[in-house]
Amino acid sequence: MDWNGDKMEKEEKLKKPRKSRHTIRTMLRIVQHISLGTFALATLVVASGSTVWVEGFRGDIDFNIYSQDRNSSYEESQMFNSIFGYAVADIIRYGVVSSQLETDGFFDGAKLIDVTAYNYRDIGLPEQYVTAEYALEDLLKWANYGFEWTSAQMTPEQAEKFLSDKTRVVVIDPESKYYNTSDANYLKSDIGSYTFVNDVSANQLWVDTDDYDGFVDGYMESGSDSEISLVAMEGSEENGTVSVTEGAGEDTEEIKSYDVLVNRYKTAEGKNLEEYVSDWDIYYDLCHNVRRAADSLVYNYNEYVDYGEYYSPQKSNVEYLIMKTVGDDTQIYSNLDDEQELYEVMDFMGLEDGTESDFIRDAGKYIYFSPANMVYLTNTTVAEETVRGILNSYDYAYPETVKIWMNVDTSYPVQDAFWQGAEGFHNVMPHFWQWVGVALLSCVLYLVLLFYLTGVTGREIDENGNTYIRLQPFDKIPTEAALLIAAGAIVLAVWVLIVMAELANLNSADLTNVSGGMLREQWFRVLLAVGMFVADSVAMFFFYSLVRRIKARTLWKDSYLCRAARRAKKLVWRAYDNSHIILRVLVPYGLFLLFNLIMVFVAFVADGFGTALALAFVVAFDILVGNLLYRNAKEQQEIIEGIETIAGGQLEHQVNMGNLHGHNLTLAHSVNNIGKGIKEAVEISMKDERMKADLITNVSHDIKTPLTSIINYVDLIKRERVDNEKVQNYIQVLDEKSQRLKQLTDDLVEASKISSGNISLNFEKINLTELMNQTIGEFSEKFEQKGLTTVMNIHAQNAFIEADSRRIWRVIENLFNNIYKYAMEGTRVYVTVGSVSGEGEDIEISIKNISESPLNCNPDELTERFIRGDESRTTEGSGLGLSIAKNLTLAQGGTFEIQLDGDLFKVILTFPPAKM
Amino acid sequence: MANILVCDDDKEIVDAIEIYLLQEGYTIFKAYDGEQAIKILKEQQIHLLLIDIMMPKLDGIHATLKIREYSSIPIIILSAKSEDNDKILGLNIGADDYVTKPFNPLELVARVKSNLRRYTVLGNLNADNNALFQVGGLCINDETKEVTVDGEGVKLTPIEYNILLLLVKNCGRVFSIDQIYESIWNEEAIGADNTVAVHIRHIREKIEINPKEPRYLKVVWGVGYKIEKQ
Repeated sequence: MDWNGDKMEKEEKLKKPRKSRHTIRTMLRIVQHISLGTFALATLVVASGSTVWVEGFRGDIDFNIYSQDRNSSYEESQMFNSIFGYAVADIIRYGVVSSQLETDGFFDGAKLIDVTAYNYRDIGLPEQYVTAEYALEDLLKWANYGFEWTSAQMTPEQAEKFLSDKTRVVVIDPESKYYNTSDANYLKSDIGSYTFVNDVSANQLWVDTDDYDGFVDGYMESGSDSEISLVAMEGSEENGTVSVTEGAGEDTEEIKSYDVLVNRYKTAEGKNLEEYVSDWDIYYDLCHNVRRAADSLVYNYNEYVDYGEYYSPQKSNVEYLIMKTVGDDTQIYSNLDDEQELYEVMDFMGLEDGTESDFIRDAGKYIYFSPANMVYLTNTTVAEETVRGILNSYDYAYPETVKIWMNVDTSYPVQDAFWQGAEGFHNVMPHFWQWVGVALLSCVLYLVLLFYLTGVTGREIDENGNTYIRLQPFDKIPTEAALLIAAGAIVLAVWVLIVMAELANLNSADLTNVSGGMLREQWFRVLLAVGMFVADSVAMFFFYSLVRRIKARTLWKDSYLCRAARRAKKLVWRAYDNSHIILRVLVPYGLFLLFNLIMVFVAFVADGFGTALALAFVVAFDILVGNLLYRNAKEQQEIIEGIETIAGGQLEHQVNMGNLHGHNLTLAHSVNNIGKGIKEAVEISMKDERMKADLITNVSHDIKTPLTSIINYVDLIKRERVDNEKVQNYIQVLDEKSQRLKQLTDDLVEASKISSGNISLNFEKINLTELMNQTIGEFSEKFEQKGLTTVMNIHAQNAFIEADSRRIWRVIENLFNNIYKYAMEGTRVYVTVGSVSGEGEDIEISIKNISESPLNCNPDELTERFIRGDESRTTEGSGLGLSIAKNLTLAQGGTFEIQLDGDLFKVILTFPPAKM
Repeated sequence: MANILVCDDDKEIVDAIEIYLLQEGYTIFKAYDGEQAIKILKEQQIHLLLIDIMMPKLDGIHATLKIREYSSIPIIILSAKSEDNDKILGLNIGADDYVTKPFNPLELVARVKSNLRRYTVLGNLNADNNALFQVGGLCINDETKEVTVDGEGVKLTPIEYNILLLLVKNCGRVFSIDQIYESIWNEEAIGADNTVAVHIRHIREKIEINPKEPRYLKVVWGVGYKIEKQ
C-alpha cells in the first residue's frame, strides 16, 4: 500500500510540475506583454512630458526641455528664447511683406506697383529699365486668374504697328544726390527722386543696344525733369527721326506668328503693355516682369494675411513696432491698435539713448534694435547677431534707419505659442525620473522575459526526466501557411486600427502626424498601451511558434518548400536512375516531335513544291516510326507468348530470335536462357531423385540377402524345439524384428520409387464402392481381432474413378493397416463413399477412426516419410504407410487430406469421377 | 524321391534351403553359380531347380535361358529383386515360379511341392470328363464336389465351392461382388455387402500357397474377382 501511495505521489509530482509550468509560462507571457505596454506608456509619457509642442507660424515646433531649464523660470528657458527668436524672424519678414502691400499702415489695393522695380527690389535696379505700373489689386487678381497668351498672325508691318513706335525707358540719374547704388530699390529709397523717364524710338534702341550711355545722354539733353509720374511724352520729334527700314517692305508678304499677352488689366495709365515698347524682345521682358511681380505679390499677400492673423493683438502676446524711413517718408508697421500706446512707443523709439525700462511694457520681455544708432537692448537671451542676421537677409527692404521694437507680455493673456510653451514648461510631468525608471525597468523586464521565454518555450520534461520539444497545434501548420496567417493577422490589425480611427473621427493624416496635443491626451495613452499589449501578444504568438519550430527543427522540414524540394529531389533521382530508359525513350520521342515540328514549320513557310516535299517527308517519316513501333510491339508480343509457354511447363520452348531487333533480341535471349536453365534444373533434380531411388533399391537388395539368411535361420532355430523359455522369447523377438525389417525395406523402395515418379501407372475404371467392400472383406478378420466394427455409408452404388487398381488398393490397404495398428480396440470405423456435391463432381472417400494414443502432431507431418503418430516408434510399421498412400493418391490424380480432431483420425480422399 | 538343385551364391541360404528340403525327403544338390548349376544339371538327374538371379559367372536369368534350351524341369527363381518387372522377366524367360527374398521357408517348400506335383502327376490328366474343371494345378470335380490344388484335396464350404466353381467355369472373366452375390444367392444385391469378399478371402486362404499373392483366385481391386487362366 505504501508502495502504491508512493507511486501515486510520484505521478502527481510529475503531473503537477507540468501543469504549474504551463501556468507560470502563460503568466510570464502576460507579464511580458504588460511590460511592453507599460514601456510604451512610460516612454510616451516621458517623451511627451519632456517635449513641448508649440504652434509656430510655419507649423508645429517641438522643444525639448532640458534638465538645466527645469531650475530656471520659463522666460529664462531656451525654449522661450527660441520662440522669441522665431517671433523676431516672423515679424521682420512681416514688415517686409507689409511694406510691399501697405500704404500708411493699411492694405492699399490701389497702390501702384512698378513691376520692374518690384522685381529688382532685392538686387538693385539696373541703370535704365522699361516698366509699367499697375494697381496692386489688378496684379493680385490677374495672378489669381492666370496670365493668358494668344497667338497673333502678323506681317512684319503689322507686327511693327502692333507695338508702339517708342519705348518708354526709366533711367537712373547717377548724378542725383538721392542715388546710392546700395539702396537702388523702391523699398529702401524713393526711386522717383533719382530717375527720369524718356521715350526712346525703336531705331535708337537698336543702334545703341550695348551702349546705353549714348541715348541716356540724349535724354539728359532733352532736359526732361525728374517727375515721378510716368506720363507718356507724346510727339518727341527729336528722338523719332529714324523710321522703319526698307527691309521691312521686303518682308511684307511674310506672315509670322507672334505670342501676345492678353491684357486682362490695363496699367495705371489705362494702357496696354505693348504701348510701352517698340521692340519685341523688350516687350517680352516687360510681360515677364509683370507676371513675376504679380505671382510674387500673390505669395506675399497670402503671407501678409497669415501674419496679420497670427500676430494680431487678439491672437498673440507679442507687441511690435517697426519704424523705417524711406526718403522723407516714415513708415510704421505695428500691431499696436491703441494709438496712444503707439505714440508712446514711437516716442521712446525716437530717443537716441532710451533706458531699458522704457521699453518694458506689461512686465514683459522685449527687444529693441536700432542699427543706425548701434543700439540693441533686450532682457532676453536673444543675441544681437541673431537679430542682425535676420535683418541683413532682408536688407533690400530695410534702410539703416530702421528701428525694431518687440515685446512679449509674460502674463500671457492670449493663448499663443508663448502661452503653449509656458503651459508645456509647467506641465512637464512632475514624476519625470520615476517615469524614466518605469520605462527602463519595463524595458529590461520585457527583454529578460523575452529571452527567458524564448529559451524555455516548447521545452517539456517527460516521465523519465528527459527534456523534449513539444509543439503546439499551431506549430504543426506548415511554415508558409503559418507565415501567411501571421501576415493576415498584421493586415487585419492594421485594418482594425484604421476602422477604429474612422470610428473615432480621425483621418489617416492625424494618425501619421500625431500632434503634440494628442500625445498628452489620456485616451491616446491608454490606447497606445493596450495597442502595444495586443500587438505584442499577437507578435509573440507567432514569434514563439517560430522559436519552437526552430528548436524542434521543423521550420524547414514542415514547410511546403521543403516538401516540394524533397519531391523534386526524388523526381530527379528517379530520373537519374532511369536515365538510360529516358535516354532510350524520351530522347528519340523528342527528336521525333522536333522533326515533325520542323517539317510542319517548313511546310508552313515554304511554298508550293516545298510544302508538298516537306509534308511528304513528314508522312514518310511518321509511317516509318509507326512501323517501327508496330514491329516493336509485335516482337514483344512474341516474347510474352514465349514466356507464357515456358511458364506453362514447356521448358524446352525457345523464342524465335530470327526476326527480333535490338533490345527485344536481348530480352528473347534471356528468356531462352531462363527456359534452358529451368529445364536443366528440373532434369538435374529428376535425375537426382531417380539416382536416389536406384540407390535405395540397390541397397535394399543388398540388405535382403543377409535378411533372408536371418529369417531362415531364426525359423530353423524355432524348429529345434528349444526348451528354454527365455531363448524362445528371444527367438520370438528376432522373428518379429526380422519380419519388420523385411517390411521396412519393401516400403522404403516403394516410397522412394513413388516420390521419384519412377512408377508406371496402369489406369482403368475402378468402382470405389466395390473397392471398399473388398477391402473391408479382406480386413474383416483382422478387425475382428481388435474388436473394430466397420460402418459403411455408401452414397453412390457406382462410384467410378480412373485409377491403377493395384496402386489404389495399396493406398486403401495402407490406411486400413494403419487403422488396424493404431485404432483403439472396440471402436467403430466409419467409411463413407460418395460424390462431394452431386453427380459428375469429385468422389470422396472418408475413413474415420479413434486413435488409441493421443495424436500430438501436425496432420501434414503424418504424411511425411518416417513420421508416425507415436514418436517412440515402438509399434510396428515403417512410418512410410501414410506417405506412400498420399503420394500414390496424388500420382493417380486424387487429393489426400488428414484431419485430426482430438483422438478422431480422419482421412479424406477425393478423386475426379471417371469419364462415362 | 526327387532331386532338387539349389543354386545361390550365398552359401548360408543354400544350406538353410537344404535343411528344409531334406526334412521333406528330397535329395539336394548345391551350386554357387550359374555355370556350376548347368554342370550339375548335365551330370545328374535333377527334377527341380531353385536358382538365384544375381550370381557370379553366370546369373540366374542367363542360366535359366540356357537350361530351357534342353530341359523342361520346373525352375523356381529365388531373388531379392521384388519388382514387378523382375518377376515378369523371370517368368517370361521360362521360369515356372518366382519367390522373392526374404522368403517364408514354408511357402518355398509348398511351392517346390506344388511345382513338382504338376510336373510329375498332372502332366497326364484326363480332361475328357465334363464335370472336371481344371485351371493350372487347381482341379474341381463337380460330380464328386472335390477340389484339389496340385493334387492335394481342399475342403470348402458349399458357398465357397459355388463361388469357386462359378469363377472357374468362367475362367478369366471378372465378377463383381454383386454379380457373384446374385448368381450364388439368387437374390438381388441390395447395397454394399462384404460377405462375398469375406468368402473370397477364405477361399484364397484355402487354395493359395500365399493368399496375398494368389496364383489362381485373383482380386481385381475395385472391379471384382477372377480365376486367372494358366
